[in-house]
Amino acid sequence: MISLEHVTKRYGDRMAVDDLSIEIDDGDVAVLIGPSGCGKTTTLRMINRLIEPTSGRILIDGTDAATLKPEELRQHIGYAIQSVGLFPHLTVAENIATVPKLLGWKTARIVSRCEELLALVGLDPAQYSRKYPRQLSGGEAQRVGVARALAADPPILLMDEPFGAVDPLNRDRLQGEFLRIQRDLKKTVVFVTHDVDEAIRLADKIALMRDGHLEQYDSPEQLLDHPETKFVHDFVGADAALKRLGRVRVDSVMRTGQATVRADQPDAIEAACASESRFVYLVDADGVLVGWIDSRVLDRGTPAAEAATRVDWRQAAVRPDGSLKEALARMLALGYRSLPVVAAGGRLLGHVTLSDVEKTMEGGDAHLADHTDNEAGSIGGGGE
Amino acid sequence: MAIASAMPSESYPSAKVVDRAASAGAVVALAGCLLLPFVEFRPNRIVDGRLLHLLQCAGVWGWVLLAVLLLSLGAALLPGRYRGRGLLAGAVLSFGALLFALGSATTKLMPAGDTPARVSIAGGAWIALVGIAMIWFQGNRVARSHKASAAAALTGTALLVAAWWFGGLSQLSLAVEYRAQADTFWQLTYSHVLLVLGGTLIATVIGIPLGIVAARSGFARAVAIPVVGIIQTIPSLALYGLLVIPLAALGLPTLGTVPALIALTLYALLPIVRNTFLGVSGVDASSIDAGLGMGMSRRQLLWRVEFPLALPLVLEGLRAALVLTIGIAAVMAIAGAQDLGTLIFLGWGSIAVDLVLLGAIPMVVLSIIADQGMRALESVVVSPGIRIPREEELSA
Amino acid sequence: MEAAATLAHARRRMIATTGIVLAVVIFFAIVANQALVASMLIAVFGTARDPVFPTPLLDLTPQHIAIVIVSSALTIAVGLPLGIWVTRESGRDFRDVVSAGVDFGQVFPPIAVLAVMFSAWGLGPAPAILALFLYGLFPVVSGTVAGLEAVPPEVIDAARGMGMGNWRILFVVELPLAMGVMLAGIRTSVIVNVGTATVAAATGAGGLGLPIFTGISTENIGYVVEGAVTVSVLALLFDGAIAVLAMWLAPESSLD
Ligand SMILES: Nc1ncnc2c1ncn2[C@@H]1O[C@H](COP(=O)(O)OP(=O)(O)O)[C@@H](O)[C@H]1O
Ligand SMILES: [Mg+2]
Repeated sequence: MISLEHVTKRYGDRMAVDDLSIEIDDGDVAVLIGPSGCGKTTTLRMINRLIEPTSGRILIDGTDAATLKPEELRQHIGYAIQSVGLFPHLTVAENIATVPKLLGWKTARIVSRCEELLALVGLDPAQYSRKYPRQLSGGEAQRVGVARALAADPPILLMDEPFGAVDPLNRDRLQGEFLRIQRDLKKTVVFVTHDVDEAIRLADKIALMRDGHLEQYDSPEQLLDHPETKFVHDFVGADAALKRLGRVRVDSVMRTGQATVRADQPDAIEAACASESRFVYLVDADGVLVGWIDSRVLDRGTPAAEAATRVDWRQAAVRPDGSLKEALARMLALGYRSLPVVAAGGRLLGHVTLSDVEKTMEGGDAHLADHTDNEAGSIGGGGE
Repeated sequence: MAIASAMPSESYPSAKVVDRAASAGAVVALAGCLLLPFVEFRPNRIVDGRLLHLLQCAGVWGWVLLAVLLLSLGAALLPGRYRGRGLLAGAVLSFGALLFALGSATTKLMPAGDTPARVSIAGGAWIALVGIAMIWFQGNRVARSHKASAAAALTGTALLVAAWWFGGLSQLSLAVEYRAQADTFWQLTYSHVLLVLGGTLIATVIGIPLGIVAARSGFARAVAIPVVGIIQTIPSLALYGLLVIPLAALGLPTLGTVPALIALTLYALLPIVRNTFLGVSGVDASSIDAGLGMGMSRRQLLWRVEFPLALPLVLEGLRAALVLTIGIAAVMAIAGAQDLGTLIFLGWGSIAVDLVLLGAIPMVVLSIIADQGMRALESVVVSPGIRIPREEELSA
Repeated sequence: MEAAATLAHARRRMIATTGIVLAVVIFFAIVANQALVASMLIAVFGTARDPVFPTPLLDLTPQHIAIVIVSSALTIAVGLPLGIWVTRESGRDFRDVVSAGVDFGQVFPPIAVLAVMFSAWGLGPAPAILALFLYGLFPVVSGTVAGLEAVPPEVIDAARGMGMGNWRILFVVELPLAMGVMLAGIRTSVIVNVGTATVAAATGAGGLGLPIFTGISTENIGYVVEGAVTVSVLALLFDGAIAVLAMWLAPESSLD
């Protein structure tokens, strides 16, 4: 557990951080957020003592950080920053090996740890180990930066806008991977960002700061639903309801048991369309989504197979670990009231509907309810 | 439609009809051969020399040289694929012809037996050499083939050896002078090298820490950088002159190796201190932040992050220091240091041209060795992650 | 902020200019006053052996300056256009060969160039000036090429987009932006020339190297110091003058 007790940092007569007290539980992701210059970075860097507080205490598992040797303290706290700071003269593997080497690990252990970490952050060790930072893209560099921060398996991870400099598409992917990794590793993470959506998606607790002092420290839901000050309300924006969707995973409201038929079996398609189910999903022999038919727009007489909407699952579907916010955005963009959910290779898993998204947004507990589709029965043999 | 033709076509040098730089080289060489004296003949050391043109003195080799230079000019017109190799061949053959022309002129002019007569290289031959170097350079550039370049260099060396042994080149005044002075020459070269290495070594031992300190502290920076800058602004000879008083006051010798070594050290400081300072203070703030954030001590940060990142600039400073001190060491000969400068000043004093060249030419060779050697060292010790990629690597 | 920085720069520039002009005046006042020079030397070295070089500084210094200025003027007159030309379309074919030659030339020790020129043309100031001119070319050309090539292409593109012609772009955009680096090359060239001109006294070129050489060969420290101090101050004055020139011609590169 990390506790900041009345921590203050003063530069001249400017208060960079003003009497800040927060507690971060083990295994939680605490996000520091606020406008630029509000003291987020200063707070973060006081935890690993790159900056010494003017007054106040920082306790790590009950020990005052000020009593520890700064170097040792830092060797046991992972640190990832926006500018990444990969050492350009060292290879990816050597970068990751830096802290283990400082700690005097054996070479064999370092090598296997590097491979493990590269695989963890989604980079092929064989391909990336010997590359130099200048040969990496921005997203790859960030992944290596995170791997390096995790190298010595520190219980605490400090991250200062780690995804700030990558493009939105990559940032979205990195956030997803961060959540996946964090689910397994359960580090205590202090994460700085100025992006409200990122905070809401990643945080267990959000500390909203302004001019060096804390405005509110709460779970994202509390922050969205019960902002304590006008500043908090304004900062999270008028679209709190929409933002909340960013925290709900698609698979939590996904309906299964939809009508599914093989695209190359016209008879089965006709049969499925004749039933009362509105949408019939078409898949190929591997169960990969290839399109669907809206039975309400079928003209009498035309073969159902010809009225099918052919789609590419990469564009017209969402992933189960995506957020409802993303699903809603895609529905609005495509003009659909319902969206298929597919696994990594495009295999159809289920679907989400606009009405479920709306229910979630209204604060209902729709996403906690049972989501088997009882409106349409299971017809068509599930794509066999 | 005019747009396509207006697009620059510089992706491949030989895309143009004629290689202008190479043909300019050929024209320069031809002009040197035809318009300026090729060699100078002095029957003895007293009388003034007689200047002779290529066709007056080199016999058939003179015509051969002109012919291969014309061929090189033609090679500049070859289509892309053959042009580079054609130019290289032309340059190497011209180089060989030039050497044999010099040798043949020497053989023809020198009387038999032990003689005070001397034949030396004159302006035209030097200019022809510059022109041939231009063709050679362009040939390497256009051919873009390591094999062709190496073959040309090898052939050139072989021709030099052949002209020396069989072509009469060894009768040139410079060679005669060398044989007369061989022992002294090698001894002076040796002590020249020692002086240079000594001065640079001391300057490195002082300069690198000083550069690091300057990068750390504003005060050290504000003092050290201007001071080493001022030292280097002062002419080397004057620097020696200024050293004389404190040396005399300290009871140290004012002539010989000691003042020379001190002056060389002082001179070598600037590039080393400044480049170390620039290198260390130029390290990206995010690398430093990351290093400290990972728990490196200041010392670990310096040796694991800052210094390796500054290394290319530090080595460049050492290279500059070496090249610089090779020249300054020669000037220090006037203050009693025994080195190649001794030959130069002796030559100046007695108006012995060959003696002067005998001192100057090995200095140039030493400088080139130091320059290329340091570049080679850099390519070995600097991490590939921060080395500036060479052209070939980029195009590969 | 911007305006304040510019204003501060203008003030520093005025101070520096005044300073260098004053320094030059004082330097010449002392050099011209042979009696003062003599009394200072005698004060330091006594009269045991006459420490004052027979040729007055007022003769030697202008000789030295003349050698440096003539050779540097030649250098600039040839080097700048050459550097500009090889970065134009018409001279681009020669860019690489010129750069290679210039890089190679900078590896030559200046005394070796002096030696070669002496070998080709003999004693006197003319071969020395020629050597200084040749050796000075290398930094000037490489500075000019480096400066011009460092001008961001998008700036040139923008100028072309505004309808400027090639010449106008060169004079209004490229040269002003390249001025800082070009002046650095010129500075190196001039400073090396001051030093090499000192050595050139040994080849009969005259100048402030003369008392140093004579002093060494006659073991008269007074001569050595007289020449060394004067030429050192002269070199620093040249250095300072070019730095001040840079403050006027390339203010943005000398801004802090
Ligand atoms: N070294 C410093 N000296 C003076 N002021 C500083 C220093 N570092 C930060 N500050 C000030 O402290 C405040 C907080 O900075 P910071 O923590 O970097 O903000 P954030 O990361 O939230 O953008 C800012 O107003 C900044 O100007
Ligand atoms: Mg910040």
